Amino acid sequence: MRYQLDLTLRRAEGALLRVLGTAERRGFTPLSVDGEAQPDGDRWHLRMTVEGERGEHVLQQQLSRLHDCLAVQVRPCP
Amino acid sequence: MNGARWLVQALEAEGVDTIFGYPGGAIMPFYDALHGASLRHVLVRHEQGAAFAANGYARASGRVGVCVATSGPGASNLVTGIADAMLDSVPMVVITGQVPTPLMGTDAFQELDVFGMTLPIVKHSFLPRTVDELRRAVPEAFRIARSGRPGPVLIDLPKNVQLADASQLGAYVPLAPVPVPPAPDASLHEAAAVIAQAQRPVIYAGGGVVLGDAVEAFREFVDLTGFPTVMTLKALGALPPGHPCNLGMLGMHGNRAANMAVQECDLLIVVGARFDDRATGKLAEFAPFARVVHIDADTAEIGKLRAVDAAVPGDVATSLARLSAVAAQNAGRHAAAREAWRAACMERACRHAPRYDAPGDKVYAPALLKRLSELAPDATVACDVGQHQMWVAQHWRFHHPRRHLTSGALGAMGFGLPAAIGAQLEDPQARVICVSGDGSFMMNVQELATLRRYRLPVKIVLLDNSALGMVRQWQELFFDRRYSEIDLSDNPDFAGVARAFGIEAMHVDRAADVEDALQALLRTEGPALLHVAIDTAANVWPLVPPNHNNAQMIDPDGDEPAVAATSSPTPDHREPTDALPA
Repeated sequence: MRYQLDLTLRRAEGALLRVLGTAERRGFTPLSVDGEAQPDGDRWHLRMTVEGERGEHVLQQQLSRLHDCLAVQVRPCP
Repeated sequence: MNGARWLVQALEAEGVDTIFGYPGGAIMPFYDALHGASLRHVLVRHEQGAAFAANGYARASGRVGVCVATSGPGASNLVTGIADAMLDSVPMVVITGQVPTPLMGTDAFQELDVFGMTLPIVKHSFLPRTVDELRRAVPEAFRIARSGRPGPVLIDLPKNVQLADASQLGAYVPLAPVPVPPAPDASLHEAAAVIAQAQRPVIYAGGGVVLGDAVEAFREFVDLTGFPTVMTLKALGALPPGHPCNLGMLGMHGNRAANMAVQECDLLIVVGARFDDRATGKLAEFAPFARVVHIDADTAEIGKLRAVDAAVPGDVATSLARLSAVAAQNAGRHAAAREAWRAACMERACRHAPRYDAPGDKVYAPALLKRLSELAPDATVACDVGQHQMWVAQHWRFHHPRRHLTSGALGAMGFGLPAAIGAQLEDPQARVICVSGDGSFMMNVQELATLRRYRLPVKIVLLDNSALGMVRQWQELFFDRRYSEIDLSDNPDFAGVARAFGIEAMHVDRAADVEDALQALLRTEGPALLHVAIDTAANVWPLVPPNHNNAQMIDPDGDEPAVAATSSPTPDHREPTDALPA
C-alpha cells in the first residue's frame, strides 16, 4: 500500500533524518521526498510517498511522537 | 562562567544530585566545572556502567538519571545503555562531549557522529553549537525525558561550547513536564460498555502502570472489579504477591494459569502494555476469544499490534479511577459468572503452583530466589539477563514494580551490577540485591571497583551454571542439542575475583547450605558476593516455543496437556482470523 505524507517539522538538527529513519524502521519504504524550509526559517514542509504493508495509523502515530514533528497527515495514495 | 559550569549549575537546578560518568578529552571542561559543585559524580570503570547506573537510578526512583562521557569511544560505549533506556522507557539525560565545532566533520581525533548514531534510540537529541542553544536545549531535554512516555535524551556538547562564555545566560529556568491529558469521555464510556458485557475478563498489565504513576489506581481497579490479572516482566509487583486476583506473569516463561486465563478470556483489559512478543507468543493466536480494551498514555501503542474494541488513550491513573467508579456501579452485573471465572483461574494457579522440592543435593535456583525474597521482602532487585532473570521473574515475590530492575525489552547482559549501583546510590538506605549469571556478570565485572570505591552495600547473588544458560537451553530444545559457543566452564573463581576487588565473598554449591549462605550474605555489612554453583542442565519452565501460542507451553513439570480443554472452541478448531477483531 502506498501512502502520501504531509509533514510540518521544526527546522532543527536531525529533524529530517528522524522522519526518514522512523518511516523506514517502521516498515515504510520512501519512494519520493520533496520539501522546503518555510519562509519564517523555523519549519520544514515535507511531502513524502512511502510504501508499506502496515496500516497508515501506525505510521501516523509513530511520526506524531517525534518531538520535531509539528503536524503530520497520512493518506492512502489514490 | 563558561558553558560547562553553566551546565553543571543547570543540572543542579533540575534537582540532579548524582551523575554517573567517565572523563575524557572532549568533556574535560565539564569535569573541571565539577569542582565546587553540589552534585555528586560517580566515577565508573566503563561508560556502559555509567549508562546502566543512571538507568538503574531512574528505574528505582522515577527521576531522570544522568550520565556523562567523552566523545568518540566514550560516547559509543554509552549506546547500549541508551538503547535500553529507550526500549524500556527510562527517563535519562545523556551528556557527551564532542570535538570543537570547527573540527566537526573533519574526522578529528575521537570524533564520532554520536547524534546520528543514536537517532533511533533516543526520544530526542540536541547538538548545541552555541551557549544560547545550550540554554534552550537543557531544560527542553529534561522536559522531554520526563514527559509522557519517558525516555533518554542526548545532549552532544562540543568542547568549544563548554568553554564559551556563558555569563550572559542568566538564571536557569526548568520547564515543567507536559502532562498526559485525560482520556476523552467518549472513550471511557465505550470502554465501560465493553467491560460491562464481559463474563471472563482478564487484566493484562504492563510497565506503563509504573511509568504512569498509576500503581495505586491500578490496585484499586483490580480490587473493585475482582478481575484476574496477569502482568508482564516490567509490571511484576503492580499487585502484591498473594493478592486474590494475581495470576503472575504471562508469556514465553509465564506460568500456566496466567497464559491459559488469557487464552480463554472474553475480554482483555490492557493497561500500559504493548503486546510485546515475549508476552503474547504467536500474536495471531493471542487471546483468541477476547475483545480488547486498551488503556495507555502512549497513543502510538494502541492498535499498533492488535486491533481494539475500545481505545482509552490518556493518563492511565485517571482512566483507571474513572473506570473504577463505573465498575463499582455495575458490580452486580455478571457477578456470579465473573466470580466463578476468577475462582477457576486462581484454582488453576494453585494447582500449578511451582514446586521447590527439586531432588538431589545441588542448589535449586528457583528455591534459592524464593527464599531470598522471603528473607528480604523489601529489597530492590537489579537483575541481569538470562535464565536467572526468568527465575527471578517467576519466583521472587515483588511488592512494588520499582523494586524490580531488569533490562526487559533490550535484554542487555551486563545490566545488573551497574543498575544495582545506581539504585543503591539513589536510596542509600535501601537493601539492593543484584542477581546475575556467570555470563552477564563478566560483561560489567569492572564495576566491582565502583562498588568498592563508594562502599555500596549491594549484595550480589551470582548464579553460576558455567554456561550461557538461556542460549544453551534453546540449543537443547530447538537445535537438536548442537551446542555452540555456550561453554563457560573456564570461568574464573568469582569469589576470588570479588575479593581481589576488595569485596567480601562466599560460595555455596549444596542445597543444604543455602539457608546459612543467604543469612550470611544479608548479615554482611558493605558489599558482598555470594557465588552459587548451579546445575548446567537446569532449564527454565514453562516455555512457549517460538511461533506457538501461549497455550502451547512446554512444561515437563506440569500435569496437564499443553492445550487445555475449554468450553470455547479449542485453538485446533477455531479459525484465528474469524475469532480476532477486524
